Amino acid sequence: MADTILEIRHLSKSFGSHEVLRDIDFTVSKGDVTAIIGASGSGKSTLLRCVNLLETPTSGEILFHGKDVTGRGVNAPEYRSHVGMVFQSFNLFNNMSVLKNCMVGQMKVLKKSQAEAKETAIRYLQQVGMAPYINAKPRQLSGGQKQRVAIARALAMGPEVLLFDEPTSALDPEMVGEVLAVMQDLASGGMTMLVVTHEMAFARDVSTQVVYMNQGVICEQGSPAQVLGDPQKQETKDFLSRFRNN
Amino acid sequence: MNKFAKLIDDISLLWGTYMPAYLTGIRNTLIVAIAATLAGCVIGFLCGILNTIPHSKTDNPVKRFVLAAIRVMVRIYVEVFRGTPMVLQAVFIYYGLPYFTDGAVAFKGNSGIWIASLLVVSINTGAYMAESVRGGIISIDPGQTEGAKAIGMTHVQTMMNVILPQALRNIIPQIGNNFIINIKDTSVMFVIGFVEFFATHRNIVGNNLKYFPSAAIEMVGYLCLTLAASFLLRWLEKHLDGSDNYELVNDDRLVMAAGTYNYPDKGTPFDERHKPSRDQVIQDVKFGKQRGDR
Repeated sequence: MADTILEIRHLSKSFGSHEVLRDIDFTVSKGDVTAIIGASGSGKSTLLRCVNLLETPTSGEILFHGKDVTGRGVNAPEYRSHVGMVFQSFNLFNNMSVLKNCMVGQMKVLKKSQAEAKETAIRYLQQVGMAPYINAKPRQLSGGQKQRVAIARALAMGPEVLLFDEPTSALDPEMVGEVLAVMQDLASGGMTMLVVTHEMAFARDVSTQVVYMNQGVICEQGSPAQVLGDPQKQETKDFLSRFRNN
Repeated sequence: MNKFAKLIDDISLLWGTYMPAYLTGIRNTLIVAIAATLAGCVIGFLCGILNTIPHSKTDNPVKRFVLAAIRVMVRIYVEVFRGTPMVLQAVFIYYGLPYFTDGAVAFKGNSGIWIASLLVVSINTGAYMAESVRGGIISIDPGQTEGAKAIGMTHVQTMMNVILPQALRNIIPQIGNNFIINIKDTSVMFVIGFVEFFATHRNIVGNNLKYFPSAAIEMVGYLCLTLAASFLLRWLEKHLDGSDNYELVNDDRLVMAAGTYNYPDKGTPFDERHKPSRDQVIQDVKFGKQRGDR
């Protein structure tokens, strides 16, 4: 059994009387690539935002290396610096260049020196193929380029887990490939990833674990071959049949 | 036409005699307008930041109470100073302080007048700026905050590095507005005896009754000041936006600068050059497959 990094236990989240997540349970081990799939509104993104404490769970526990991070007195910013997040809408800092975007967190949160931060930033920007653009502002980049910078920004913090919230959903079709390629590259490098996605091919080929969510609960989870290849529940079959065209 | 000739005569006479007085007036107006706008910005930023500290029902009661008290106080300050005429505020503060303290605390002499003027214009500007700053902060996309939080920044770090720089850029037109208003509205400080540009006019016409020629000088003078101010502010805005262009940096010849990461020969399952995928597509085309859903 590999090292367990994240353990989600009985996690629930309500917005007012609307229950978005119910009794979510799953575990992420080191090196896992977990694909969370499901229809829009099934709670996938909320789950991911709960994991990063951008939403406060109503009940349940999130154990990071065995320690609950949902309680009071937990240093949320400190925890988040270990858990990177890539957003659907990129969320690059509009007032900074590409390079500054990747440096600011290292300098302010990790307290690295400017030279060290720059070196790390450039290394990860090279990895995502954006090193030539260090002087550009986010508004001058295409969607795919922005998302690759956002990935480099998250990587530069040296996270143990990287969360992706529909990283390709806001992209033009021809830019999806470049972002997925970077993600596949990361996965093969052993990065632990939690990916909310509508890219079934990515879930099938890259992930090691698939979680299918339906109406706020985990309907089915297991290896890609199990969930995508041989689904047991009717809901899963119905959902997948919309992606299979034959 | 001879009316205009007379006006020009009168103006040159006034200007020739009282030029130093007019220039001192302009100088005083500018000093108060600039200093009070800057101080007002500081007050406005403080109030705007205090007003936008995030609060939730799960915070402990003490913190919630303190935050609520701060918001109420800022609100009262803004409403009072935005909702009363500055000319009255000047009288109120200049005479009110000695009245309540039996003259122990008073704005004494010329420097007292200066301090009172700066104080009144600053807190008045601050009241307007507080709302502008609050608007500037809440107009920034919440995604920016989330992006900053997601890399582990605290609220203060997020504000200082990400939100406020963008909010500041967005409210520069408002700051400019306030500056121009201040150039003109410092004129009401004559009620407490502050000798700025307009008070100079009152003093001069008190001697020679040339109301209209002196007013003409004042009009042109104020217009020159405000035009110069708006020109400078435009320049500043443009300067802050930075260049529309950027240079590609390509030290490493192996890194492709075309924005593509895919290796042409190898490909990935997600691009069209990947051989297995291409074969699949050919198969699909041959044997029929609905396209569309990804």
